[in-house]
Amino acid sequence: MKQFSKIFKFEFKNYLTNKVFVGVTLVFMVLIIGVMFFPRISDAIGSGGDAPSGELPTMLIADKNGNEALIYESFAAAFTDYKVQSVGYDIDFIKEKIISGEVQCAIVTDGFTSFTYYVNNLSMYDVNTAIASEVMQNLYRVNSMIGGGLSPEDASGILSYQISSTTETLGVDQMQNYFYTYVMIMALYMVIILYGQMVATNVATEKSSRAMELLVTSAKPVSMMFGKVLSSCLAGFLQLVAIFGTAFISFNLNRSYWESEEMIGAIFDIPPELLVYMLIFFVLGFLIYAFLYGAIGSTASKLEDINTSVMPVTLVYIAAFMIVLFSITDNNVDSTLMKASSFIPFTSPMAMFARIAMSTVPTHEIVISIALLALSVVGVGYVSAKIYRTGVLLYGTPPKLGTIIKTVFKA
Amino acid sequence: MILEFKDINKSFGEKKVLKEVSFKAEGGKAFGLLGRNGAGKTTSIRILMNVFPQDSGSVLLDGKPIDYDKVSFGYLPEERGLYPKKKIMDQLVYFAELKGMSRKSAEKSIDYWLGRLEMSEYKNKRLDTLSKGNQQKIQLVTALAHNPDIVILDEPFSGLDPVNAKILKDVVKEVISKGKIVLFSSHQMNYIEEFCDSIAIINGGKVVLTGDLKTIKHNYPRNKLIVVSEDAKAILNDYKDKCVPSENGDIILTLDSPRDKRSVMAELSGKYDIDEIRVFEPTLNEIFISYAEELM
Repeated sequence: MKQFSKIFKFEFKNYLTNKVFVGVTLVFMVLIIGVMFFPRISDAIGSGGDAPSGELPTMLIADKNGNEALIYESFAAAFTDYKVQSVGYDIDFIKEKIISGEVQCAIVTDGFTSFTYYVNNLSMYDVNTAIASEVMQNLYRVNSMIGGGLSPEDASGILSYQISSTTETLGVDQMQNYFYTYVMIMALYMVIILYGQMVATNVATEKSSRAMELLVTSAKPVSMMFGKVLSSCLAGFLQLVAIFGTAFISFNLNRSYWESEEMIGAIFDIPPELLVYMLIFFVLGFLIYAFLYGAIGSTASKLEDINTSVMPVTLVYIAAFMIVLFSITDNNVDSTLMKASSFIPFTSPMAMFARIAMSTVPTHEIVISIALLALSVVGVGYVSAKIYRTGVLLYGTPPKLGTIIKTVFKA
Repeated sequence: MILEFKDINKSFGEKKVLKEVSFKAEGGKAFGLLGRNGAGKTTSIRILMNVFPQDSGSVLLDGKPIDYDKVSFGYLPEERGLYPKKKIMDQLVYFAELKGMSRKSAEKSIDYWLGRLEMSEYKNKRLDTLSKGNQQKIQLVTALAHNPDIVILDEPFSGLDPVNAKILKDVVKEVISKGKIVLFSSHQMNYIEEFCDSIAIINGGKVVLTGDLKTIKHNYPRNKLIVVSEDAKAILNDYKDKCVPSENGDIILTLDSPRDKRSVMAELSGKYDIDEIRVFEPTLNEIFISYAEELM
């Protein structure tokens, strides 16, 4: 135990004095602060005066039959982002204006039933045709109704009647949870894969620098493995706290500036109990993979071997991540695959967390999943320490999986 | 303190690495563990330090199975290596702490040893800024700082210049004089001969020769004489059948029987201008080669 705490302290200090580790964390924090304060700053700079309306791009409206006046008002009301101008029907003139850049686009209607949209470069996000279609459809309906004998007021009243509705969510609001679940799963994924690799590299470095020769005779492999893995877990956790904490604090300082962005707001509206689950699954998920990575690191003699050696574990991990990611994007976290995944120790950290966040999971299932995971962590930790003890003294080509298993169970 | 290896066997997979290895090493004396590359020296050392268990046999200290919680080891591995990017003092303290020392006493002891090895000025430097020989001296501190009961030095002299080798020799003598068990493993036979009172030669996983070095040498057949003379040519000519010139120009004369020693000595000193005549004793190097060549 004493050895464990010495190793833990030594390794943890390594992280804190590692310039890259500290630098990356600080850069992230500064970036997040920058992003979170951006609306406030741009607001402060932009408040010198309202942007003059003359800067809006121009949209030309024309009708084949010369009826621009009839439709102008509706288009002007619909396209508030444009300075809408009505012109006579002269296609060449309109095209010329667009090509010269004087106006951005034009809509030429043919009655109320068809129109042509002229634009120089069609952007991917251009929704003008959709808006115009809606405007035209409304005009067509109103006109048809008027033709059928209704007064213009009644006709537009019928068309613009709003149905009121409210939604009462009894379970979990998947819409709202989607964003923060996504962010947290991403964070979980990144931290585990990055730190797992770090643990593997750390072990392999000690081995290739031959510091291992002395270490194996000075400390018990179990102490070394747990010391390394737990210190990296704490370092990773601190990094997450630093980054997310910064985000949370700087978001709350600028909350009023972000009100129009529902998505951003949703990310920060994480219920506290979900944070507790996040912590549990982060720690357990981190440990189970870090132990594996550490054990694999011990079988590589050279740092160059690390990448190929850790590939199988990384692939399993990526597969788990994909399953979860597709399920949350599909809003289908209660599929059989996800249910099964949420009990398998190597997939459960992400899968169960996603299910808890986006669905309603019975408590006993959560307890079973966590218990299975915790037991597996202890088991994997123990076996990893054994592989480590065997692996660190083997030099040359990395041993085959079968050889490792044999030696582990013999030792 | 007497350390005893008793009938140790060890296999890795199908390969038998150690076969019934037995030897004894005493406190206050240095013990030489010799063997060619791959003979089983490192495996023996690792079993001694409990890195992995033996298949059968036992390691005894004063007749009882060794208690790894009570006995401490100092180890200078043949494959040297510490943390290249870390400050020397930091890692030395870390290793001493792993061996159970408190931070304070570790620092005190490390300061002493760094001073003793003339390395004090480097204590706040990074290890990889040091020369190879100096890195090796730092490594030696990790083996000694925690005042271990048993010190294992694997090729301690390789890579040291004559001045550093002298410093190391003095340090080793100091450690031996404190009554510790010192285990040497080396291919540099002159150092072993200088320090070690007893040896074990391992060949192909077996101990082929072990015991007190003086006795071993003395037990060699004493039927050869070394003759140093100005009249070497004449002697070689007169004793054609019995003489061979040695590499350095001396003559090695083989006697019909060790009992002829005195009469032959008298005969030679009467007939020729003799500088020196003595009984030939093999060097450790020669003993090693004769025992280690077989079997492998």
